[in-house]
Amino acid sequence: METMQKEESTKLYPFQFTGKADEYFKIWISNIFLSIITLGIYSAWAKVRRNRYFYANTYLQDSPFEYLADPLKILKGRLIVFGLFCLYYIPSKFLSGVLPVLVISILALFAILMIIIIPWIVVKSIAFRARNSSYRNIRFRFKARYFEAMGVFVGLLLLSVLSLGLLYPYFVYRKNKFIINNSGYGQTPLVFFAPLKSFYQIYIKGVGLFLLAMILSAFLGIALSALPTAVLYLALIALFLGVQAYTRASVTNLVWSHISIGNNRFVSSLRTGDILGINITNSFAISFTLGLMTPWARIRLMRYRLQNLKLIAADNFDSFIAGEQEKISAVGEEISDFYDMANFFDVDFDIGI
Amino acid sequence: MEFKAFYFDGKTSEKKEVQVHFYDIGELRIKGLENELSFRLKDIRITPRIANTPRSLYFPDGAKCETQDNDTIDAFLSQQKKGRWNAFQHKVESNLEYVFPALVFSVLIIWGLLYYGLPVLSKKVAFALPSSVQASLGKEGLQYMDKLLFAPSDLPEEKQEHLRLLFNNTKQGIPKEYDFLLALRKSPKLGANAFALPSGIVVVTDKLVQLAKNDNELIGIFAHEMGHVVHRHALRNLLQDSAIVLVIAGITGDISSVSSLAAGLPVILVQRKYSRSFEREADLFAMKYMKQHKIPPRHLADILLRLQEQRKTGNGLDYLSTHPATEKRVKELKGEE
Repeated sequence: METMQKEESTKLYPFQFTGKADEYFKIWISNIFLSIITLGIYSAWAKVRRNRYFYANTYLQDSPFEYLADPLKILKGRLIVFGLFCLYYIPSKFLSGVLPVLVISILALFAILMIIIIPWIVVKSIAFRARNSSYRNIRFRFKARYFEAMGVFVGLLLLSVLSLGLLYPYFVYRKNKFIINNSGYGQTPLVFFAPLKSFYQIYIKGVGLFLLAMILSAFLGIALSALPTAVLYLALIALFLGVQAYTRASVTNLVWSHISIGNNRFVSSLRTGDILGINITNSFAISFTLGLMTPWARIRLMRYRLQNLKLIAADNFDSFIAGEQEKISAVGEEISDFYDMANFFDVDFDIGI
Repeated sequence: MEFKAFYFDGKTSEKKEVQVHFYDIGELRIKGLENELSFRLKDIRITPRIANTPRSLYFPDGAKCETQDNDTIDAFLSQQKKGRWNAFQHKVESNLEYVFPALVFSVLIIWGLLYYGLPVLSKKVAFALPSSVQASLGKEGLQYMDKLLFAPSDLPEEKQEHLRLLFNNTKQGIPKEYDFLLALRKSPKLGANAFALPSGIVVVTDKLVQLAKNDNELIGIFAHEMGHVVHRHALRNLLQDSAIVLVIAGITGDISSVSSLAAGLPVILVQRKYSRSFEREADLFAMKYMKQHKIPPRHLADILLRLQEQRKTGNGLDYLSTHPATEKRVKELKGEE
């Protein structure tokens, strides 16, 4: 009887994305134009406007998300990152022939510094994103301890390299667990309950598929020796993209479908074929229009991802409580943006959760 | 003026439907809650308009009203002479007659930057740095290539000695700051070919030596390769490549895995154009050198033509080929005689 009751009181809420390619195209062009004529200073405002557009077009139960970051903070972060980049890039590229000892010591120092600050960057950037995302005027939050981040993003990452990738699925598992379990919506914490086993299943299947397809194509290649090398290379690239789409779609589904918040949880149902199709057509569209189709590509990918995300809710949407405020600088987020670290660590906070 | 909005107090996620009234004196009232609320316009923060997305009015106590009625807010703000900058942003972003010129302008600027600005800038930077910087770029280059592509030359010892002498004579006429060295190699993969490493090593394959009918043709080839080094093409290439990748990544942005693939074609097109202009520069360098030493530049044209015949490429693929179409180069070399 009790389970019956529970099932009756839960409801399925789909996410909706109402962004339009033509509308975003105009915003995108204006952003580029204004960034050019202000020599890049406007890019901080451009980023905020872009994020505001994407957030405000993301709806859950008829309420939009909101991006709140202050462009001035982002600009400050960018200037600091630019300075750091010059410090690193100039000696590494241009002085190595002239003053090798000095350069090597600078680079070594920089590498040690990076290892020390990476965990800090990760924590700060996720926190900045979370704090500046809100839904129904309740902000998201993220609070994590430096040493926990150190263990995951330095320790485990190194171990997964040293173990030749055997520990990589474990790293992905711990990374997501770290991000989600330290996050919350107001005072309600997010809880991650995916089993480690499922991560290994995805990666084993991915690698297996890749090897199988490689062996098959090798046989085919020998059988059809007339086949030009270019075709083989293309096949290999397609194969790689396919496996990448598979692991990405599966990991995203696995992670999202194992997040709970209060008595509610998410369901993500991305499909490998769809993701692969979107990625390939997006790439072609962007290449052949020399970038002009970028807004269309972005909107399309976002729409697909959100169409396949749903919330199974048992709680009343009115009952979440706000947490206390805390200010966080944008430096962390800008560093991780600049070095594409968010991408590297697959820190996926795109829609504010 | 009035509009419908949703009120969120910022303490819980509860959503309440309210009516917001604007008054000309710069005040607004919120009706529909237990108590009517009243605020001065200067105390509230209104988020900027972006397309037709909902927008928030934040009150001093952290509560907010969310509404889709952008037009009423804009009308009120313009009446109160506020929010002009955002009104301008929105006007630009939502009208094709602004977006189109912005698009044309941006494309022109980016195109001009990549095609004209960047080469000039990288040239300036490359020549501002000491020549040792370029030399340090490819120190181990030849060792790697020896492992992957090359075998020792099969040419008879006397021939090799003769070529070295010819090479050393050629380099006499060129600034001393570069350390030119001839490397003779055999390579079935590369066929008849020659190229210069940034450190000043000029690699020439056996097949190219055999293709040459006389020493003047080889001097032309040597001078062309030295031209690449003297003009610091390797260093400029590196500078330009890093800059294009930055520019294009900045425009197409971060669509996760797609971006690296998507940025590919534009990057390749721009790089082709750069390397073609480098080839022309090296040709001009060789031509000048040959004329100074009373060697007709036609000799370089001759061997280029023969190379082309052997490869059967370079026809009609001008835009996508690294070397400018041979006819064009040959014409320039012969025309200058």
